[in-house]
Amino acid sequence: MSRFDGPSSFRPALRAGARFSREAKDRPILTFESVYKSYRSGSPVLRGVHLTIERGEFVFVTGSSGAGKSTLLRLLYRSETVDDGRILFLGKDIARLKDDAIPFLRRNIGVVFQDFKLVPAWSVYENVAVALEVLGLPARLIRTRVGEALERVGLAGRGNDLAGVLSGGEQQRVATARAIVGEPALILADEPTGNLDPQLAIDILGLFEEVHEAGTTVVFATHDRTLLEVRPRRVVVLDEGKALDVPQGITIESDDHYRLPN
Amino acid sequence: MISLSTALRARRGMMREWRLHALSIFSLAVAFVCLGASLLVVTNLRALEDRWAHAGRASVYLKDNASAEDIESVKQALLKVSGVKQVRYVSGQQARLDFGANQQERASSLAALPAEAFPSTLEVDVVPEMTDTELSDMAAKLQKVPSVEDVETYRAWTERLSRLISGGVAASALLALVVLGAVLAVVGSTIRLALQRRRTEVEVLKLVGATDGFVKGPYILEGSVQGAMGAVGATGLLAALFTIVRGRLDGEFVTLLGLQPQFLPWYAVVGLVCSGALLGAFAAMGSLRKLVLV
Ligand SMILES: Nc1ncnc2c1ncn2[C@@H]1O[C@H](COP(=O)(O)OP(=O)(O)OP(=O)(O)O)[C@@H](O)[C@H]1O
Ligand SMILES: [Mg+2]
Repeated sequence: MSRFDGPSSFRPALRAGARFSREAKDRPILTFESVYKSYRSGSPVLRGVHLTIERGEFVFVTGSSGAGKSTLLRLLYRSETVDDGRILFLGKDIARLKDDAIPFLRRNIGVVFQDFKLVPAWSVYENVAVALEVLGLPARLIRTRVGEALERVGLAGRGNDLAGVLSGGEQQRVATARAIVGEPALILADEPTGNLDPQLAIDILGLFEEVHEAGTTVVFATHDRTLLEVRPRRVVVLDEGKALDVPQGITIESDDHYRLPN
Repeated sequence: MISLSTALRARRGMMREWRLHALSIFSLAVAFVCLGASLLVVTNLRALEDRWAHAGRASVYLKDNASAEDIESVKQALLKVSGVKQVRYVSGQQARLDFGANQQERASSLAALPAEAFPSTLEVDVVPEMTDTELSDMAAKLQKVPSVEDVETYRAWTERLSRLISGGVAASALLALVVLGAVLAVVGSTIRLALQRRRTEVEVLKLVGATDGFVKGPYILEGSVQGAMGAVGATGLLAALFTIVRGRLDGEFVTLLGLQPQFLPWYAVVGLVCSGALLGAFAAMGSLRKLVLV
């Protein structure tokens, strides 16, 4: 199995990161400063989110359906913009990036979309390779790296299958392979285990942990409680439009509510 | 900006939707055939004008009652005019025989024509450098000579030809506009349709960090290829038609006009193909302006 670390490891994130100042290294990778977002006036989804994520952290973001987990992630890759407040990525305000800088932001972030965002008419290989093609890497390098990524998600040998004919769980793994293949500095995973059986879910979680071990920051949105219990990790709950850190040793009461110890 | 990857992605797009692209290329070829055909007509009329403008000849029609001395004096006077190379007397009898030689199968019926149908003439050859005004001056003077019935400098023919050519040029310009419209409309809508079908593809590309140029490149290339292929197809079709028509006409046509019909010159063909490519690229860019931003 390939290693994501080591001196020869390819890191477009750090290369593009040269655009950021030196001291960015010591800054948190992500800072939310009283972020507001609503799609329809009168029903804001995010109401003053404060959140800091350090470089190299592994954070679960959880909350009931409709709490705004996907929205939070969409703001990060600038698919949506904040109504108010700031989101700093390595000290840079994402909302103030010019249109032509957005592609470079996105190359630093690997995203597993909740709805996968695969091109059904493309092969599995093409769907993963596209993340490297936009970087203009040589074809030979793309081939080996895509091969490695597919192996890591357990889809070795499926490269030629059309993405459209795969099962939901397989598509989810293709999306995961695409997110990790570029070895970005930050990975956002939106319910990446939603379509997987419990054992496969834990395997994929293991994959993200492995990527995390290599120094990548991982934000993992899920409402799968069992995953939260696999290992003690930082858990952030989105509730009533705000982000709250859940102290370790939380008890989970009902289906939809976390009771904070007080 | 055109990288290998752009070309590969454009090729992939065209192969996946070859029906759409083939239809577009066919429509463009039809438009280009019209333009090419009018250019072909203009080219040949030009050649004809050139041939006749520099034919350097005039026919002096003599009255029936002109005496041999009169004719000889006119001939001598003509020979003294600067620019006149040669003067040849053709009797009505001779003219009838010449005509019959060209039209062998009909000679018998033509022999029945009265002798007056073929007046005697002086055929004047002048140097090609002789200007139109010099020629018409000469014709005006000849007209006053009593034994001269009429003078034909063939200028009327060149003028008529010129008018025909300017008409042809105007028609070509109009057709060029039609082609312009057709390319913009056909390529524009094909690209818009392709974009519609590849919506997810565009969205995914943008989400994984593709620049606008990276997304648009293949579509612009596809538009340009369509335009160029349309022009190439039209030229090919026209060349085939031209060969067939020329094969049918050959003998008669050539003797009648005094020259071989010719196909479009190479630079016109290159021009058609290049303008097809440019217009196609331009049309594609136009339809990509409002590319969805994700
Ligand atoms: N594009 C949109 N237009 C209008 N409303 C939207 C849009 N996207 C999300 N919403 C609304 O915003 C709220 C938060 O949606 P979001 O997708 O962020 O929730 P979520 O926490 O990811 O939920 P889930 O766990 O079901 O994926 C929901 O009420 C949703 O209906
Ligand atoms: Mg969601």
